[in-house]
Amino acid sequence: MAGASRNGNGGLGTRALLWTLPVLLLTLYVVPFAGVISWSVTQPEVGFGQYWRILSGGDMTNVFLRTLRIAVVSTAITILVGFCLSYYWVMGSRLRQTILEVCIFIPFWISVLVRAFGWLIILRDNGLANGFLMATRLISEPLGTGRNEFAVIVGMVHFMVPFSVFPMATVMRKIDRRILLAAHGLGADPATVFRKIFLPLSMPGVFAAFVMVLVFSVGFFVTPAILGGGRVVMVAEAVFVQMFQTTNWGLGAAMSVVLLVLIGAIVGLAYRLLGLRSFVG
Amino acid sequence: MENHFKQDCLILLKDRLTQGSIDRRTFLTGLVALGALSAINGGPAKAAGGDLVVTNWGGDAVPAFKSAFTDGFGASSGLNVKIDGSGSTKGAMKAQFDSGTVRWDVCDADPGSTKSLGDAGMIEKVDYAIVDKGKVEEGFAYEYSIANYFFSYVIAYDASKFAGDPPKSWADFWDVKKYPGKRTMYKWMAGSLEAALMADGVPMDKLYPLDMDRAFAKLEELKPHIVSYWDSGAESQQLLRDGEVSMGLVWHTRANLVETDTNGAVSWTYAQGIMAPSGWTVIKGNPAGKDAAMKFIAYCQDPARQVVLLETLGSGPANPAAHALVPAKSKRLDCSSPENRALQVAMDMDWYAANSNKALERYLAMVAG
Amino acid sequence: MMFGRSRLGGVLAYLAAAFLLLPLAAVIPVSFTAKRFLSMPNGEWSLRHYRSLFEDGAWLSSIGTSVSIALMSSVLATALAIMFGLGLWLGRPRVGAFLVGFALLPMVVPPVTSAIILYFLLARLGLLDTIPGLVIGHAIMTMPFAVVAMLSAFAKLDRGLDMAARNLGASTGQSIFLVVLPNLKTGTLSAWFLTFMLSWEETTVTLFTSGVEVITLPKRIWDNLRLNVDPVIAAISVVMVVLTTVVIITRALARHRLSPSG
Repeated sequence: MAGASRNGNGGLGTRALLWTLPVLLLTLYVVPFAGVISWSVTQPEVGFGQYWRILSGGDMTNVFLRTLRIAVVSTAITILVGFCLSYYWVMGSRLRQTILEVCIFIPFWISVLVRAFGWLIILRDNGLANGFLMATRLISEPLGTGRNEFAVIVGMVHFMVPFSVFPMATVMRKIDRRILLAAHGLGADPATVFRKIFLPLSMPGVFAAFVMVLVFSVGFFVTPAILGGGRVVMVAEAVFVQMFQTTNWGLGAAMSVVLLVLIGAIVGLAYRLLGLRSFVG
Repeated sequence: MENHFKQDCLILLKDRLTQGSIDRRTFLTGLVALGALSAINGGPAKAAGGDLVVTNWGGDAVPAFKSAFTDGFGASSGLNVKIDGSGSTKGAMKAQFDSGTVRWDVCDADPGSTKSLGDAGMIEKVDYAIVDKGKVEEGFAYEYSIANYFFSYVIAYDASKFAGDPPKSWADFWDVKKYPGKRTMYKWMAGSLEAALMADGVPMDKLYPLDMDRAFAKLEELKPHIVSYWDSGAESQQLLRDGEVSMGLVWHTRANLVETDTNGAVSWTYAQGIMAPSGWTVIKGNPAGKDAAMKFIAYCQDPARQVVLLETLGSGPANPAAHALVPAKSKRLDCSSPENRALQVAMDMDWYAANSNKALERYLAMVAG
Repeated sequence: MMFGRSRLGGVLAYLAAAFLLLPLAAVIPVSFTAKRFLSMPNGEWSLRHYRSLFEDGAWLSSIGTSVSIALMSSVLATALAIMFGLGLWLGRPRVGAFLVGFALLPMVVPPVTSAIILYFLLARLGLLDTIPGLVIGHAIMTMPFAVVAMLSAFAKLDRGLDMAARNLGASTGQSIFLVVLPNLKTGTLSAWFLTFMLSWEETTVTLFTSGVEVITLPKRIWDNLRLNVDPVIAAISVVMVVLTTVVIITRALARHRLSPSG
């Protein structure tokens, strides 16, 4: 076996490593999922009626558009904030590293429900933030920050930032600092080194974080339900309604498929744009 | 039972290994998991007569069902009665039936959902040879379910502001000039269409079949004043308690808890309330068998047990004979008593069975739009 | 070293960190409320929810169940992701991109749909409402995240490492265990931690595929939600936060003592 995989494609061992996960997933998940996909064109009757309903511009189209809008905004903010945190978690001084590490790890342990309630207490009209700003006379009446799309995005970003830090920091740790120092030694100022060398080298991590966060952002359920005042209905919740309340499983399945295609298209596009040829080996 | 179950898992894993549908590593992980299982799950052994799983909506309802129904039934029947609080939604019941692995014996479910599942052949008909049709309020013994308790959609309001002239109708609820402040309504629609129609002047006895266009026009009118469409009972309480809203369409059980929690700063009324039943339901192919489930339902019809549920959960008894046993301090909570029912309208579950899917989708689009 | 020292960037990072801690301003007081529902204490502070956390066996046993399921499923998911990543990295198969897309499937399908899929699967395996069943379910749900984390670690792995090891006479196995894997330590730890946390919080699949015999922490919380949100969950969050902080600071101090250059 030794050396067999040196030129790619690989020997038996490599192939076993590669195929274990896909084969398990195929038997345990994909086969039943294929059954679900079939509902989308058979329930309640055979045809593409469910897909037409999603794409024809009615209430379901609105749910998808709203989800995409919120997902794009929250993903963009999350990646920016997460990048900034990862950079100083990896490159900062010892003290900075420790302080940031504490702040990155803490939110994981606050239950999603408690967190949503915490944001509610802070953001609502009679909440802590508006109270503070009014007491300091920065504003004269509440800003309307609670129970709407703004609150939902705040809650989502807060959930996603700590997750986004991990893939980015993993990649940043692997960046050879000698390269950075060398560039600096050759006369490039820190900003140029960052832009021309550090940023491109950290892109695989940014891409991984992007994929993860994008997927999170379309799947939110509890946070929009609590912080959105019931009005911010996103795809995950709409699928819940179809699966559990109206039991229109055909529509729920069709929505899952459309979401899958949509996410696949966005991720594929980003992959092309970033030119991450090396990412999947 | 533990060992038997583990052995079963081992055989299953081994089969899969030899069939080649799982690899060795998964097999080993499975072994580890089973080993850990015995360490974690050293629970009590199964009762001699087998299990009966009753499903409800969780929280306070779990201990309430325990003291009112399941402890007593377990002792008298020899069955080991367990309560699953994960919520008997329509989708969950359908999944159990479709998968061929029904885990629940008796579900506390919405009679509208039950009827549409029943028409699709998934629900056992109530066996009125075992369950007594005479022990339930007239009109609430259905084909696929039977009322087990009642609750009402009522107006709760900020009594510190409106005590002098409290709201008495849904027209008052819609009147944001006379009763200023924000509102909250139910996110899952039930009761909201009826409230809107009454606010628009439809008499209480002429509500059904609901005029959807008219109801939605009225709901749109109030929409700018709604700060939140509540999803869970806890959320409706929080909105009233913290003064985020001055009035809400909420369950009477919740309204009552807020009233206690706030020492009367929030109060509520049955005026034009919408009284709804919850029903016992048995999915076809339930593990303990149809008869055991029906016997459990019959057992719960006992008036004294229903009063226990009223005292613990605040829900109105399904058996009319129970009202006489309700102590004076709990009379107000008894939403199905003749005095309180006179103020309210009963929800027509057949209308919901036939129309709720379309109506709910339209309602959610309105809420989100 | 001149990187990571920018004044402006540092301020931005601290602002972001403060944002992450902000909910604690509400969560900590809420855990001390004297009321039986989530609320600010408003002057009435109480330890009752901490007491019920430590005295009520049900909460502790759910925490134990959640931890064991999260441990098993995260190790399983991470191990599978490492194998998959190694296979991709060593084999460089032509269908690589396709296989990655395939592996990410359970993460893109809405969790509610996955819950129904897994209900049907576990029903067939006879593993509904059991710990092995939940471990399988959680491993499937979290595995894609481990794959993403591992792939980003592999993306930065120097191919020269494997070559060099082989040229020095190492077998594939030796190269993997002695050279490749040690270089993936942070990636592996990230993948494990992320999947652990995702399993710890997993609600949708758990609610649907368990209920009577196995009760995880989110399941217990959710049971309470429909009718009443118990402030014990705020107390649990605060205890976890304190533990995390203590661990990280102790570790940082220990590291500091070991390397005086600090």
